[in-house]
Amino acid sequence: MHVDAFKREVIFKIVYFGPGLSGKTTNLEVIYKNLDPQIRSDLISLKTSEERTLYFDFLEMELGRIKGRKPRFHLYTIPGQPQYGWSRQIVLRGADAVVFVADSQPMRMDDNLTSLMDLEIKLIRLRKTLARFPWVMQYNKRDLPQAESIEVLERKLNFLHTPFYEAVATKGIGVFETLKCAIQMAVQKATL
Amino acid sequence: MDIQQRHNGKRVVFSEASFQKIRLLIRDFLLRSRASMCIFADVNGYPIAYGGDSRGVQISSLTALAAGSFSATLEMARWLGEEQRFRFIYHEGAHRNLYLSNIGDNYLMIVLFDKSVPLGIIRLLTRQTTDRLNELLNDLRRKSDQATQLLDLEFRDLLDKELDRTFGLNRS
Repeated sequence: MHVDAFKREVIFKIVYFGPGLSGKTTNLEVIYKNLDPQIRSDLISLKTSEERTLYFDFLEMELGRIKGRKPRFHLYTIPGQPQYGWSRQIVLRGADAVVFVADSQPMRMDDNLTSLMDLEIKLIRLRKTLARFPWVMQYNKRDLPQAESIEVLERKLNFLHTPFYEAVATKGIGVFETLKCAIQMAVQKATL
Repeated sequence: MDIQQRHNGKRVVFSEASFQKIRLLIRDFLLRSRASMCIFADVNGYPIAYGGDSRGVQISSLTALAAGSFSATLEMARWLGEEQRFRFIYHEGAHRNLYLSNIGDNYLMIVLFDKSVPLGIIRLLTRQTTDRLNELLNDLRRKSDQATQLLDLEFRDLLDKELDRTFGLNRS
């Protein structure tokens, strides 16, 4: 969190984490397309030639003044591909909350778990841990016929019982609900 | 009034007086160097103070990219076994150049300057300015302490309503 009392702004950093192709960038694209251009920046994407996230995506959004203060949010995605581990570590630094975007397909379960463990390892390097860090689980791709049941996903992935949301990011479903929860958790942590 | 930041769990508080000193240092740098814009930011990509011609520039986006670029360079230095970090990055454009320099471990100075301005001047004056900023930051770290609670329960409740309105969500 960054507090600028001169401009009366409070800035939070929210990071979208998860395995490759789980829909992190799609979340940001939906937020970008649906927000009034007056309250958001351009969407910056650092992509490979294959349209995969190379370093991060970045989007800034702001809300109207609340009690005289303007909340702003810096939204980042991480590159999900395994070889970009250090990029993930860099982007995660200074995060106030994480959205973990999991792929609901059974064949991606190992990838989800590997990414979740990767997140924990990177948080530990920052002297934090998932058990005491604000994070939200998003089960994405719920529209796919082969999607795993929520009960199974909860049992296999959400062993810390963090709040979860079902999403179809390509259709915008669940995207803003997830973001709202992440923001609430970040702000709650900051007020403790 | 102040600006609060946490680095490695330690809070740094920018008092109004210190913030004004930073702005004066930036203004002095711009006058002497003839650079078109200068941003003082933290390594997480939050812009703290800036000066010069920022028309058409999204400061937060530029700072986020600069912070990412600089962090990647630090990792490269580490992987190459550099004991000292790379101190600056220079990008040469067709019309304007970009110069990024670290200020200690947690801050950055981002300088945008025209092709007509010699790189040597920018390097020299950036070094002088980052040294002065570093002294100021070290002094602040010694003095930084309790920060006021800025976000209370009422703020959180009002924020919820604002999020619902902005995101088009129905309150449950």
